Amino acid sequence: MTTRNKVLLLLSSLVTLALLGVALAQEHVFSEWRRIQRASRSGGQRAAVRLRQVYLPSLKVADRCVSCHLAMAPGEQDATGPAVVRSHPPVGHDPQAFGCTPCHGGQGRATEKEAAHGNVEFWPLPMIPKKYAYAGCGTCHTHLPVTNLARLEKGRRLFEAKDCLACHRVDGRGGTMRPGGAGGMEGPDLSRAGARGFALDWYENHLAAWKERKSQAWAASFGPLTEQERESLSTYLRSRVGAPGLMEAKALFHSLGCRGCHKVEGVGGDDGPDLTKEGLKDPGRLDFTHVPGGKGLDRWLAEHFRAPGKLVPGSQMPVLGLSEPQIDMLVYYLLSLRRTEVPDAFWPKDRIRVERFGEREFATDGPTLYGTFCAACHGSQGQGMRYPGMPAFPAIANPDFLAVASDDFLATTLRKGRPGRRMPAWGEKEGGLRPGEIATLVSYIRDLGGVPAPPPSLEPRRWAKDPEGLGGRLYGAYCSGCHGPQGEGGEGPMLRNPVLLESATDRYLFETVSRGRRGTAMEAFTRPSAVRPALSPKEVEALVAHLRSWEERKP
Amino acid sequence: MTRGGLQALWANLRSLPATFRDSFARGGAPVSDRSRSTFVFGNVFLHFQSVRVHRWSLRWSTTWGLGVACTSAFLLTLITGVLLMFYYKPHPEAAYASIQDIHFVVPTGRFIRNIHRWAANVMVVAVILHMARVFYTGSYRRPREFNWVVGLLLLVVTLGLSFTGYLLPWDQLGFWAITIGANIAQSPREVTDALGITSHFDPGGFQRLLLLGSDTVGEEALIRFYLLHVMILPLLLGALAAVHFWRIRKDGGLARPKDADERLGPLPEGTLPVFTQEPRKTYHLACLVRGKSAAVGRGPENTLPSLPHLFYGEAAVFMATVALCLALSILWNAPLKEPANPLVPENPAKAPWYFLGLQELVSFSAFMGGLGIPLLTLLGLGLIPYLDREEEGTGLWFGGPGGGRLALLSAGFGLAASLGVEAFAIRFGWLREWFPHIPQLVVTALNPGTVITALYAVHSLWAARRYGSTRAGATALFTCFLAGFVILTVIGTYFRGPNWTFYWSPALWPKH
Amino acid sequence: MSAEERSPRLAPEPVGRRDFLGMAALWAAGTALFAAGLGILRLPKAAVLSSPSRKFAVDLPGSMDPGTPYLPAGRTVAVFRDHEGVFAVSRVCTHLGCIVNPSPTGFDCPCHGSRFAPDGSVIKGPAPRQLPWFKVQVRGGRVVVDEGETVPAGTKVPL
Repeated sequence: MTTRNKVLLLLSSLVTLALLGVALAQEHVFSEWRRIQRASRSGGQRAAVRLRQVYLPSLKVADRCVSCHLAMAPGEQDATGPAVVRSHPPVGHDPQAFGCTPCHGGQGRATEKEAAHGNVEFWPLPMIPKKYAYAGCGTCHTHLPVTNLARLEKGRRLFEAKDCLACHRVDGRGGTMRPGGAGGMEGPDLSRAGARGFALDWYENHLAAWKERKSQAWAASFGPLTEQERESLSTYLRSRVGAPGLMEAKALFHSLGCRGCHKVEGVGGDDGPDLTKEGLKDPGRLDFTHVPGGKGLDRWLAEHFRAPGKLVPGSQMPVLGLSEPQIDMLVYYLLSLRRTEVPDAFWPKDRIRVERFGEREFATDGPTLYGTFCAACHGSQGQGMRYPGMPAFPAIANPDFLAVASDDFLATTLRKGRPGRRMPAWGEKEGGLRPGEIATLVSYIRDLGGVPAPPPSLEPRRWAKDPEGLGGRLYGAYCSGCHGPQGEGGEGPMLRNPVLLESATDRYLFETVSRGRRGTAMEAFTRPSAVRPALSPKEVEALVAHLRSWEERKP
Repeated sequence: MTRGGLQALWANLRSLPATFRDSFARGGAPVSDRSRSTFVFGNVFLHFQSVRVHRWSLRWSTTWGLGVACTSAFLLTLITGVLLMFYYKPHPEAAYASIQDIHFVVPTGRFIRNIHRWAANVMVVAVILHMARVFYTGSYRRPREFNWVVGLLLLVVTLGLSFTGYLLPWDQLGFWAITIGANIAQSPREVTDALGITSHFDPGGFQRLLLLGSDTVGEEALIRFYLLHVMILPLLLGALAAVHFWRIRKDGGLARPKDADERLGPLPEGTLPVFTQEPRKTYHLACLVRGKSAAVGRGPENTLPSLPHLFYGEAAVFMATVALCLALSILWNAPLKEPANPLVPENPAKAPWYFLGLQELVSFSAFMGGLGIPLLTLLGLGLIPYLDREEEGTGLWFGGPGGGRLALLSAGFGLAASLGVEAFAIRFGWLREWFPHIPQLVVTALNPGTVITALYAVHSLWAARRYGSTRAGATALFTCFLAGFVILTVIGTYFRGPNWTFYWSPALWPKH
Repeated sequence: MSAEERSPRLAPEPVGRRDFLGMAALWAAGTALFAAGLGILRLPKAAVLSSPSRKFAVDLPGSMDPGTPYLPAGRTVAVFRDHEGVFAVSRVCTHLGCIVNPSPTGFDCPCHGSRFAPDGSVIKGPAPRQLPWFKVQVRGGRVVVDEGETVPAGTKVPL
């Protein structure tokens, strides 16, 4: 019996020894980073085989990425070896001062490729796809300033049209001519002009040099510019922060009116989910059943733009009818929404400007404000929008509307919204518009329609009377089909709306009924149609008075 | 004089190795039966075994080495656990990263953590198997009743160690385990609320506070669970295990049938019997103690020196356990899920397999499943040796009335009853679905868990009556307990999906 | 002759009144240790718990479907609005504290399958109580929810 036990002990001990050997080999022979480092050279000799890391406790960074990407390790820029051993392309931030994962995502503490790149089951933050590399900027640069895309594009086109690329490099293009002949200075690289800042009197400097005709290049490639052109070029330059693609994507986001429903960094509407940390979404928690291609957040977001309801049951998000390049740009921007708490010392200027000094991250000119908040519902040109399953959104640039709506009416509507409808009270809500911005928007909306404000009138705000009690019957006959029997709205807008009734003067209501709105279902009721006679001014007045009767009886 | 002192010093120095050896092992080198016995006798670690063990205890089929396997697994977790403490940081901000570091950059760290995890799993399995062995060989009976109770406490502490251990990484699994565990501790509120006395008497709230140290799951909770895991529970386990081992000896070694000597046959050649008919060993201290030493007066002892006979077996089991844990560790990594997210629980949020039976029970009633039924079960198991005072069949596998056939029958009944009740509840729902306004106390008292428990109790009483034997009742009860554990664990592990809904296979789960 | 007869010391010693001192000493020791234990029981609960403020303000969307909750980011609360007013329902399952997810029928708990109606009442599963309602105040168009204070179910605050 004891002999058997001895044999058992011998066997189990030998097995244990063998298993220890296997574990040893597993850890020391087969790991990928060791294989890469064994095949690499650093400092003219064979690279020392050991784990390397970028360790930055203040950013909670312990990135072992540099164990494979050897030439990115501190002090080993000259390392050579397999393809993964290559130095980091020149960027604004030294990887050794900022680490790898703050920009690229992934699991920095891991030392195996799959885990480190975050393509494993239990790591919520996989690496940002290379295609969207600059999305990583959003970790700290949460408020890069933008205009809408049209202004940005205009600036870029002008920059190219005016031949600036002859001397200046931007985003890897241009900068071939050398003013002052061979050996002279080429124009500075402007790829990061927006981040570094540029001389405000650049135009005057250029103009002086052009007048001197320092070289052929000056004569060929520069000329006087109008003030508008200069401003347009400056706008473009300010957007050059070293993140090409991302800025255009962000500008598109601020052209499509996304913030009308979504908050980003506390600014925007509340109808859709807050997008501030959209780029940090864990792909492991998303449903990829209906998403073609791989399991990346980018794929999911793209498919979500194509068919929101398919990916998120019950989603309110309309199908926006975007082109594929537009979807790609929006995905880029959303991936960059990865706000992370970092120590104050790492706060970039854009974040400080907005969060400490209350500036906006979007330009506050009319077109950009409109593109930021309004365009999704009211259309890029104020033409109104129709989305399946939603009441139509009004065409606010309708000339008939603008002809009767005073600036005060527009401003009040923007400020107080339409309770019970989609239109938020932009002037009162958290994350809404400031008074100056509302004024800017009002004048921009007026520009969109190209119709001046109605002349100021001295008549009282309310004067409509209905002594004979015609209003109710007329409303039932002609209005309730679109506006609902109780004015609750239907195909047409909701009329029983406290803010509408408060801000609209009787003249506004009267004129709207009389003249109608071209381009909408709202007819001019003082003209006869096939199905009804023309209404007399008295009858219109009675209708207005009927609408007024709802004001007292609040719902 | 001086020269003589120096000479003596020199001579002593030269004989140092020998004198040190003699001081260490008093009886000289363990080369003969006698000196080996003295060696065991004089060594505090070896002497937790008796110097000679009965040949019945040495048979593999008596124990299958399960007790030693439990101890070995515990030792493994102890050693690896202490090693992990070099790196683990019990703070929500740092815990997850420290586990990542153990996994990725600490040399041997991943292996050590894997061993820790697998040894803990092996320990749970071994403890349950060991318990089953003790039960089915009737070894819990007089005079070993108390040791059975100590064993039950060891089971509880083992599960407690597992529970406090798997939440330390502060990943999703751990965070929601703490949350659920703390709320199970709070579940007496289910009763006090129903009675409307929570504002005066709130043991549930107190227990939760005791565990969490705050009203939310945060750093206080983590440090408390850490303290439990690395200090309080291991010390408790060590103390209980010491009692457990000591009692084995004081209770006369392992249980064996009365006719063990006849069954074993004559001693193998070359071994010398020891007679204790007229014992020459005098128990100076023991002579003050009432009764006889368990070993005195039993005729020629059918024993063998534990060194080497027992120790080779024990060492073999130890090394086999080590090999098993190592192999498992090489094959499968210990899990580490996403970092804790207090706003989004996993779906489904599943505990390790050995708690999934409990989780199935708490999915019927938190109080009954988390505290009531487990306590009732422990009470029932703990009472077994005091209610079964028979002697027939002690020391034999499936001994006593009913025997193996009853065990099979009870296994069948136990499986069928829990399966049936589960299937019914899964197919037709339970009280709350039929009568939405039913008082909670009714659901607490009458839910699938309590129904299964009641069925098992009735079956046990039936068996006791049918076979006219308390042993039969005990066999039925214990077998049902095992069957219920298996069924509930299997259902919890393989057939519960998101929102704890029943699915035939994980492949059918909706994708989030 | 048994051992007990041979040696009087083996017979049980009666505890006489004279050992009052010993008994008193033992009882005193026991009482003191028990009292110490009671004192230690106070230790696990700090006089002030380190938990953050549980009040917060939200902006509700302009239009809300009465049966669909608004989920403020970073909070375990669901805010509803219907024609009677605003109310906030806890999203912490009353069973074992998991966070329930909104579903077409109300809320589902991922841990043990409890189901709740939108008003928090239990439809199915092990949850013993309905989801509590939290105190809601309306301040200047914003809704302030106090997770520290529960109100009876059905208390809606007009907006």
